[in-house]
Amino acid sequence: MSAEAIRPVTDRDSAPWWERTARHEFAVQECETCGTLRFPARAYCHRCRTPRWRWRQIEPVGRIESWIVSHQPFLPGAREPYVVVRVRLAEALECVVYGNWRGDGPPEDGQLVRGSFTAVDEALSLVDWGPAG
Amino acid sequence: MAGFRDRTAIAGVGYTRFSRNSGVSTLTLACEAIMAALEDAGLSADDVDGLATHRVGDSAAPSVVGPALGIHEPVWHLDQFGGGSVSHAVIGQAALAVAAGVAETVVCYRAINARSEFRMGGTGRGLPVSPEVQYQAPYGYVAPPQQYAMFARAHMSKYGTKEEHFGQLAVRQRASAVKNPRALMRTPITLDDYLAGRWIAEPFRLLDCCLETDGACALVVTTAERAAGLRRTPVLISAAAWGGGDSFLSGGNPDVTVTAAAEMAPRLYRQAGVGPAEIDVAEIYDCFTYSVVVQLEDYGFCAKGEGGPYAASGEGVPVNTHGGFLSEGYVHGINHVAEAVSQLRGDAGDRQVDGAEVALSTAQPGYILPATSALILRKG
Ligand SMILES: [Zn+2]
Repeated sequence: MSAEAIRPVTDRDSAPWWERTARHEFAVQECETCGTLRFPARAYCHRCRTPRWRWRQIEPVGRIESWIVSHQPFLPGAREPYVVVRVRLAEALECVVYGNWRGDGPPEDGQLVRGSFTAVDEALSLVDWGPAG
Repeated sequence: MAGFRDRTAIAGVGYTRFSRNSGVSTLTLACEAIMAALEDAGLSADDVDGLATHRVGDSAAPSVVGPALGIHEPVWHLDQFGGGSVSHAVIGQAALAVAAGVAETVVCYRAINARSEFRMGGTGRGLPVSPEVQYQAPYGYVAPPQQYAMFARAHMSKYGTKEEHFGQLAVRQRASAVKNPRALMRTPITLDDYLAGRWIAEPFRLLDCCLETDGACALVVTTAERAAGLRRTPVLISAAAWGGGDSFLSGGNPDVTVTAAAEMAPRLYRQAGVGPAEIDVAEIYDCFTYSVVVQLEDYGFCAKGEGGPYAASGEGVPVNTHGGFLSEGYVHGINHVAEAVSQLRGDAGDRQVDGAEVALSTAQPGYILPATSALILRKG
């Protein structure tokens, strides 16, 4: 995307996740009680409703669940159409992330994809997606 | 909920003109629609003891509209945060307040300058305050047409739904709007016109997307007994239901081609004592074409996956007889309820569905904001 990225407005739950992402670590939360992986960051496990958790680094790998080609310039400065993908993470099947597409051709439904980090600056990196392997 | 069924009624409907630039404040729009609804019901502002709306920081609150109309001591009020997910919930909540005897005559309204002042996901406002926005906006994923296009693509991939299905639906809704004097878009369109439209966010073209409208609509909710003595044919509120939706927080429904309406619809129908086969007319939330397709499935009018061909065929239940958001105007859901009222009263003119006795009207089915709501109305 040629536009300037909109900087994420982080919150008290999410700030540590963004700090890890800036260090190019891809992590979700793991419930210490029942082991459920969750994203985005929040205090309580949706399954066992307990608040004890730890970060768990996982492979940034998943499958394309859907995608769009955005033409309308919803972002100031976006001059070219850009692709946004919705990815379901392979190691954390309950977790979905969005990102921009870094493949040559368009994505395909169910395609195996791998995330890569795009550093905006020292404090911010984004995760984009392209064909795995 | 048998104790709720048909105990309350919609006794009056009022609109402002729909336009692209009202030139007035949302407070003015709200007052105009409310006064029109009261006149329609044969009531005055002195009869009103409750006010209800929903907003996303874009409109006049009941705490302003009440005093502006000299309604200084409401006994019940509701200022609900939210957009199209809660449009029908607001009316349902007013009906609950009336059925419980807390209030007797509640005006529900929605007033927006959605084209000239506060465009959804567009210019004129900041990003919504919601935890998931930070994970989406940096990738240029910010606006409802993008979000709905994402869900529509998943449906197309899974069930073979085609853009032509969306297109035929848009063509049919336009044909309905041609018969609706209130509608903003009254020039017929063809499938070729649809396909020639510019891309907004693939798979959506221009004519997949709702209008952006300045305007207001208001409804008077009162007891069935009181409505029976007023000047218009009462339209009874047979059922109101509230449901969840698709959340970005992990742990929810993993299949985005099934909306919260699928879980909610059986409860709604059970409250009303009817099923989809008894629905004579359906005014279905159509922020985008796909929204109608998926709801036709999830409210039981056709099987899962068949919503595209069903919507394209024009067979089955009459849908969005006013033209919907795609062609009448975008008042965030309340205009769908108002059209249902018109159909059940039998005053819908050239677009009247013969013998309409029972109507369904639905809110946004729980994408984007994980909440939904719907009403079943019956001719009194
Ligand atoms: Zn747990």
